[in-house]
Amino acid sequence: MDKAQEIAKQDEKNIEKTREIYEATPAVDIYENDDEILLHADMPGVVKKDIAVDIDNGTLSISGVRKFETEKAATYEEFSDVEYVRSFSVPQTIDVEKVEAELKNGVLRLHLPKSEAAKPRQIEIKTA
Amino acid sequence: MFTKLNDIDRLFGTMNLLQKSLDNIYRDHGKSSGYRWEFEQTAPRINLYENGDNFEIRAEVPGLKKDDLNVKIQGNYLEITGERGSDTPEGYKIHKTERGVGSFSRSLTLPADVDSTRVEATLKDGVLYLTLPKHEAAKPKKISIS
Repeated sequence: MDKAQEIAKQDEKNIEKTREIYEATPAVDIYENDDEILLHADMPGVVKKDIAVDIDNGTLSISGVRKFETEKAATYEEFSDVEYVRSFSVPQTIDVEKVEAELKNGVLRLHLPKSEAAKPRQIEIKTA
Repeated sequence: MFTKLNDIDRLFGTMNLLQKSLDNIYRDHGKSSGYRWEFEQTAPRINLYENGDNFEIRAEVPGLKKDDLNVKIQGNYLEITGERGSDTPEGYKIHKTERGVGSFSRSLTLPADVDSTRVEATLKDGVLYLTLPKHEAAKPKKISIS
């Protein structure tokens, strides 16, 4: 579909709607070693129950909703309720069963272990 | 110009689309797909609320522990300083580091003086909450009509 059509399509489906929660892209760090891939994402204010991590068909999507309690009159506001969303392509070699996630101090840490078959192996050379 | 809120919404929708297209271009060049189209900021974002006798401050400080933060108050001047250490694990190859590290400082002038002895600060889920009781003179008073 070309861009013009795409914009037109956006236009059509944009009927009057109530304000949704803002979407934001969390900042992430990604590290890798022989055993696993590590992903750290900043999600300040998000609690555990509002985080969703999905791995489906090679796509890892993380989403976290931040809801502050009863809003007071804000004199000055730089951030508000937000939904952090971001997707990544992950190699098929990730062992989906063993993925671990922890949330601490507003940082989501994902451990994506590589499956045994995918780990680099040292091949020993036999002397004849 | 914009008669309805919907028009503005639509405008932003189109901008999002443009951003996505740009993201795709960046991805094609092997760069970050979630490139953040905003100013990189090292200092935390701050909200200020006023609630009768108190001011409330919220600041986004993901990954910081309470020892990493310093809050200083003098009259109506508030300063939040801190240091964000790197949590790069040893022996890992780095693919992406978007989360800023280093020290930051933010200061703001509150609309009224606060009682610095009764300020409460809590750190929860990466957000710093400060409750700053207003100084007696700055508190709202109810005037009874005679």
